[in-house]
Amino acid sequence: VSATDPIGNPGQDPRAQLGRLLEEDPADLYENAPMGYLSTLPDGRIVKVNRTFCAWTGRPAGELIGTRFQDLLSVGGRVFHETHLAPLLRMQGAVREIALDVVRIDGSLLPCLVNAVEVRDEGGAPLLVRATLFDATARRRYERELLAAQRAAQESEERSRAVQNVVSDLAAATSVEGVATVIVERSRLALHAAGAALVLVEESATGEADAVPGLRPVRAEGLPDALLKALRVAAGGQLALELAQGVRALPLDERMRSRQPAVAAAMDEAGLTGLVTVPVSADGRRLGALILVFRPSTNGGLISLDEPGTPAVTAPADIDLLWTLGRQAGQALERARLHEETARQAERAAFLLEAARLLAGAADVSETVERLAELAVERLADLCVIDLVTEEGLTRPAARHRDPQLQHLADELRERHLTARRESHPSVQALREGRTQWLRRVPPDLLDSIAADERHAEAAKGMDLASIVAVPLIADGRRLGVVTICADRQRGAFTEADVEVAEQLGLQVALVVAKAQRYELDVRTSHTLQANLLPPNPPALAGLSTAVRYLAATYGVEVGGDFYDVVQLPDGQVAFAVGDVVGHDITAAATMGQLHSVYRALLVDRPAPSAMIDRLQASWSLLGLQRMATALFATLDPATGQLRIASAGHLQPLLITAGQAEFLPVTPSRMLGAPQSPAPAHEWAGVLPAGSTLVLYTDGLVESRSADIDEGLAHLLAAASAAGTSDPDELCDRLLSELTGAHRADDIALLALTRPA
Amino acid sequence: VATVLERNCVGVTGVPDARPIVFVHGFGCDQAMWRFVAPDFEVDHRVVLLDLVGAGNSDLSAYDPEKYSSLRGYAADIVEICRELELSDVVLVGHSVSAMIGVLAWQQAPELFGALVMVGPNPRYIDDGDYVGGFSRSDIAGLLDALDANHLGWSTQMAPVIMGNPEHPELAEELTNSFCRTDPDIARQFARVTFLSDNRADLPGVTIPTLVLQCSADAIAPEVVGRFVHESIPGSRFTLLAATGHVPHLSAPEETTAAIRAFLTG
Repeated sequence: VSATDPIGNPGQDPRAQLGRLLEEDPADLYENAPMGYLSTLPDGRIVKVNRTFCAWTGRPAGELIGTRFQDLLSVGGRVFHETHLAPLLRMQGAVREIALDVVRIDGSLLPCLVNAVEVRDEGGAPLLVRATLFDATARRRYERELLAAQRAAQESEERSRAVQNVVSDLAAATSVEGVATVIVERSRLALHAAGAALVLVEESATGEADAVPGLRPVRAEGLPDALLKALRVAAGGQLALELAQGVRALPLDERMRSRQPAVAAAMDEAGLTGLVTVPVSADGRRLGALILVFRPSTNGGLISLDEPGTPAVTAPADIDLLWTLGRQAGQALERARLHEETARQAERAAFLLEAARLLAGAADVSETVERLAELAVERLADLCVIDLVTEEGLTRPAARHRDPQLQHLADELRERHLTARRESHPSVQALREGRTQWLRRVPPDLLDSIAADERHAEAAKGMDLASIVAVPLIADGRRLGVVTICADRQRGAFTEADVEVAEQLGLQVALVVAKAQRYELDVRTSHTLQANLLPPNPPALAGLSTAVRYLAATYGVEVGGDFYDVVQLPDGQVAFAVGDVVGHDITAAATMGQLHSVYRALLVDRPAPSAMIDRLQASWSLLGLQRMATALFATLDPATGQLRIASAGHLQPLLITAGQAEFLPVTPSRMLGAPQSPAPAHEWAGVLPAGSTLVLYTDGLVESRSADIDEGLAHLLAAASAAGTSDPDELCDRLLSELTGAHRADDIALLALTRPA
Repeated sequence: VATVLERNCVGVTGVPDARPIVFVHGFGCDQAMWRFVAPDFEVDHRVVLLDLVGAGNSDLSAYDPEKYSSLRGYAADIVEICRELELSDVVLVGHSVSAMIGVLAWQQAPELFGALVMVGPNPRYIDDGDYVGGFSRSDIAGLLDALDANHLGWSTQMAPVIMGNPEHPELAEELTNSFCRTDPDIARQFARVTFLSDNRADLPGVTIPTLVLQCSADAIAPEVVGRFVHESIPGSRFTLLAATGHVPHLSAPEETTAAIRAFLTG
């Protein structure tokens, strides 16, 4: 036996000592046992309780006796007691390991594990319930932690899945719109939000960093317009600040009602109770925000456990998820923008190519600018307006909108607001200053300030115009007009690349317009000149009926040097001529005028037709006429029908007698102004029978692009034979209608004389 | 494929041609709750006992979270069972949440039922403005936590033993707390459906003879709630029992039986 007994009291008999200790006082064992003891009546009223339980709960025995055990429990525990513990005791007479929380006198909870047995009488009726309670604080904490960890793992898995889905969907999105759709739909689902929207920060109109940034909703689902609008206003200048604060969950509470009454009202209206803003950023740049709105959870028809006014998203894991979504969205937006810019670059290149092709084949200025405007709104812009400076002042031959639904607004701009535009209007400025005007961002108040009137501003706003480039058309130092392209909010601001394209286009258009304007001026001048030089109607001639026709070319810009002349000489003879100066331009027309004057002057001496040709040839170099010409000169004595004709390289005249047509065999000599040759001009002399008609014409009547001249002459012969009239006016009309179409490549001069029968 | 009767572990006893009385247990345990009351009715009624899907020995594989996310899913099962057994003029005795399930079952097939006994009903547990249900939101959250802490010996290893041996109920008997054992996920969802439903609006339309059986000092269905149910159902009868607690059919079976009989014999 050692000096020390098992319980460490030296010097005593250990067996006796242990024996005494085990003869415990049962009362002491009950009262101070390392567990709580309770006895209750079947209805739960405590009839006996040990000191341990009293100490644990801080409640004196006197207070506990008579109290129902279930009334000492937390609410959850009380319900569990009623629904599980009490029934189980009745049914199986005992329960084991029921977890319950006992409320201590200070209100704190004592987690317990309860074992209980029901004491019954012989008939099985309950007499008493005996219960033992173990302090399970540590064990329950451990269980809770396990459970929490399990739930967290589950939620974390759900979140990773949500992020994975977003990432894979975003990878497939190639447009800003596509990215917005993914992020709005996915985040709404993942957070069980009532609605979501992606709003992007717009660069400021001025490009200044500290200016108030605008917000543009790219996509919104389940978010009322009124709320979006209120948020836009509320965000105002504080947006940068708001975004810097990270994910913010805002309940619809008194604070919001007093600070943001408009937002609160819009939320109330839609039955929403919470709002979360998530910054969307890439590489530290803030691109915009994801907005989620929440309404009280319907909980599948069940009552929500959330107290009214609880912020919808508070769990750190949810906040983390939103952060991640915001960053993913930011990166995807950057990618999409790059992708869109590349696509736009390709569009620009294609546009310039098409425009160049169009301009190369340009015929008519107004048609060309109209088609250019059409092309511009297919590829480059939403609205394209082209103004041209003309003799009548500024005109607007083209105003096109991409959307046919909005073309009427473009038409309105075209028709109503051209003349009344203000000096501040970018296209007016571009024209005045001769420099491109680029309004990267056009805030609505700026639209007001540049609009001619309210309706003008309304039309511009109706098209949601957000960016404007106006390029002046300048060629040879002259300002010819302005090309103005506009983008709407959807398309976004024009970039430098867009401006460059517009300027290249402006250059091309300017050259084409300048060339076309010059050309058109020439044409108009020639025709005017020609018309002024030719007598509109031949004079009334005694003993002859005559008719003349002069038809200008209808297309191309060709102008002829054709002429005709009929004059009665003092001796009663009639001199007449038809001619055609080489070339189709203003020089040809001028030459024709000179030739006509010289011819008249020479008539004073009444030379014979062949002598007329010889004199003209002889003095050609003196006259300084720049072009050669063909001509027929003739004299006719109306009384006798004596006719003399000479030809300088001209087509043979046509004689119609009694419905029979023939070409008079007038031998042509060289053309007027052609190199010298010794031979004098021939002259045909004969009689124009009474009732016969002589027809003189220029090659425009018998030449066409599709048939050669012999075919034309045969056609003329047939038509003249079939005409069946001797009235020169009627004859002219029939020949023209038979031989010419609506389109003529060349001028036609036609002269018919009939010697009455 | 389990039949409707297997699904709900339906037991039929008593007099075959007598008036059927169907007992439906509430939140917590299973049909064993009726063990002290049912035998009394077996002498002159056709007695039908059942376990709600998810409880007792019901077929757990029939538990469809979608269907049972509303009390109407449970009510549909009661209707199905009555039709399967070709019952009519049924006395439907529902305890606790099943008192409301009974109202919904009657709504779905009024032709099947002749009388409704609501034992400790509570159409909405959470207080709402002037309405007193007896609980706040945080109380119910605490209750759900208490459930999480009590899986009553449930473990996935035990489940096959219980479910796979319906012919050896003694196996189940040996297990601790067997009458109230439930798959924790099902228990949690049933608790949510029980304590978060609001069926007040269904009460005024009840036109069948109805008895509201109210215990004294019932922490789950306070007397004020029982009176609310009684006042909401036109022509209903209200009986306040001396029994305390929430389960008078266990704590005071004689008083409970007498009250039901008094109601049925009118």
